[in-house]
Amino acid sequence: MTHRALMATAALAAALTLPLAAAQAFDESKYPDWSGAWRRIAVPGVTGQPGYDQTKRLGRGQQAPLTAEATAIMEASIADQAKGGQGNYPTYTCLSPGMPRIMTPYGMMEMLITPDTTHVLLEHVHDSRRIYTDGRDWPTNVMPTLQGYSIGKWLDTDGDGRYDTLEVETRNMRGPRAFDASGMPLHSDNKTIVKERIHLDPANPNVMLNEITTIDSSLTRPWTVTKRYGRDPKEEPVWTEENCAEGNGHVEIRGQGYFLSAEGDLMPSRKGQESPDLRYFTDAAK
Amino acid sequence: MYRWNSIALQVIALTIMIGSAHAFDDSLYPDLKGQWTRAAPDPSFDPSKPPGRGQQAPLTPEYQAIFEANLREREAGVPATWPGRTCLPPGMPAMMTAYQPMEIIVLPRATFIRIDYIRESRRRIFTDGRTWPKEVEPGFDGYSIGKWIDEDGDGKFDVLEAETRYFSGPRAFDLSGIPLHEDNETVIKERIYLDKTDKNFLHDEITVTDNALTRPWTVKKSYRRTAEARPEWPEYLCVERSETMRIGSETYLVNKEGFLMPSKKGQKPPNLQYFPVAER
Repeated sequence: MTHRALMATAALAAALTLPLAAAQAFDESKYPDWSGAWRRIAVPGVTGQPGYDQTKRLGRGQQAPLTAEATAIMEASIADQAKGGQGNYPTYTCLSPGMPRIMTPYGMMEMLITPDTTHVLLEHVHDSRRIYTDGRDWPTNVMPTLQGYSIGKWLDTDGDGRYDTLEVETRNMRGPRAFDASGMPLHSDNKTIVKERIHLDPANPNVMLNEITTIDSSLTRPWTVTKRYGRDPKEEPVWTEENCAEGNGHVEIRGQGYFLSAEGDLMPSRKGQESPDLRYFTDAAK
Repeated sequence: MYRWNSIALQVIALTIMIGSAHAFDDSLYPDLKGQWTRAAPDPSFDPSKPPGRGQQAPLTPEYQAIFEANLREREAGVPATWPGRTCLPPGMPAMMTAYQPMEIIVLPRATFIRIDYIRESRRRIFTDGRTWPKEVEPGFDGYSIGKWIDEDGDGKFDVLEAETRYFSGPRAFDLSGIPLHEDNETVIKERIYLDKTDKNFLHDEITVTDNALTRPWTVKKSYRRTAEARPEWPEYLCVERSETMRIGSETYLVNKEGFLMPSKKGQKPPNLQYFPVAER
């Protein structure tokens, strides 16, 4: 086929497909470019496991506006962890951290924008989300989940004819959930409401900001933090696959956490911890 | 003319990808939106055949023996070698059985397949013209490269051809434990397309080449689109459902009260050498 013939055919094909396009067209140029792989930006000087507010150390260092009851739960969790226990940290058994903690995020994040839904794919325990942007109202009969049910709205805040901010509200969560690995709790009534404003940094399109406000019965007032994510500069990022059950060095038997040795033997997770009750094995005491 | 239109379609698609980072004419692609569920009630790998031995998988003698041993253990009440029993994901190709609802998101750079079953799988089938990368992290879902085809020359893509490589394991074809080879050198080719007469019916022709097989094994899976415009997406957290626990090389049952129980007659309890004798 000659160049001229190819171009003519292309033009003809384009003309033929135009009427179809109107029925289903999705104009990606109306939305911000959130493509690629995103990761949490580490804050210099903030060491250890990531805190919920990434600018501060986890646990007490967060200075979260916790109620007295929630503070007591967190302190008990920290004390248990100091002895080798897991405290109020359900994630160690491969339970998803749930909202809002999943937006820390712990692994790689990808955003897929479609007109009806923005998919937030998070490579961690079990953390991905759907943010519905099709104008729906809150459903009346949906099973609560750890990630909750998210409804979003695109905004053109600078009036340039292109959306730049995704406002999201998330409800309908279940538990147990904690803000971070210290076991700082969200309330067991699971009446959490999480509001987010997600947008690119005006000064750097490879930095994404997520202003998250959490309203929860474990808090004395709404708690707002701003999370910062950086875009992987690689054109073809290497996506990793995390399978929590693979190589997890923890097991839980009747509410008690144990370590697994390198050989796969049960080990106590804290000093003085009793061995599990093996009453169904005939030679358990040997 | 069909061939010319097809070439033109490829040119348009390429021009769109190169010319404008964001322009995306989704009318060029088939409408795969919504929630898809497995059409066949039985979740065997080949939905047209009975489960287990009835699948007539073309296994090598070595892997047939592994499978037979697995079946004997199952009949004796031991959990099968299906990795999902210990909350490992099914991976490819078993995940395409769609044990839970499936969503397909078509974007110019890739087609994404989300299935929330054990692992919250999100296959990326890259359709941006890339070649096999030098640096890949092997995974249960593998690494997929695809190509959209305008098979009937109507100026619109209708078939997604995909090839998947770079796996980790252990993986099995289905719940009966038909094994894939432990070398994980599996190559999977797929043709995904809507039914010509029923646009709410989707097909996936899957051909698996694997060293556990004597020849490539081809099956055809089908999926039905949920009628609900706004379907509910269930959350599947394996750790909350699992009735087994893996400790070392042994798999134990967990009863309703959470006690560990032997999964087979005469099974020894977990080694408690790290606990003081007085506390046992």
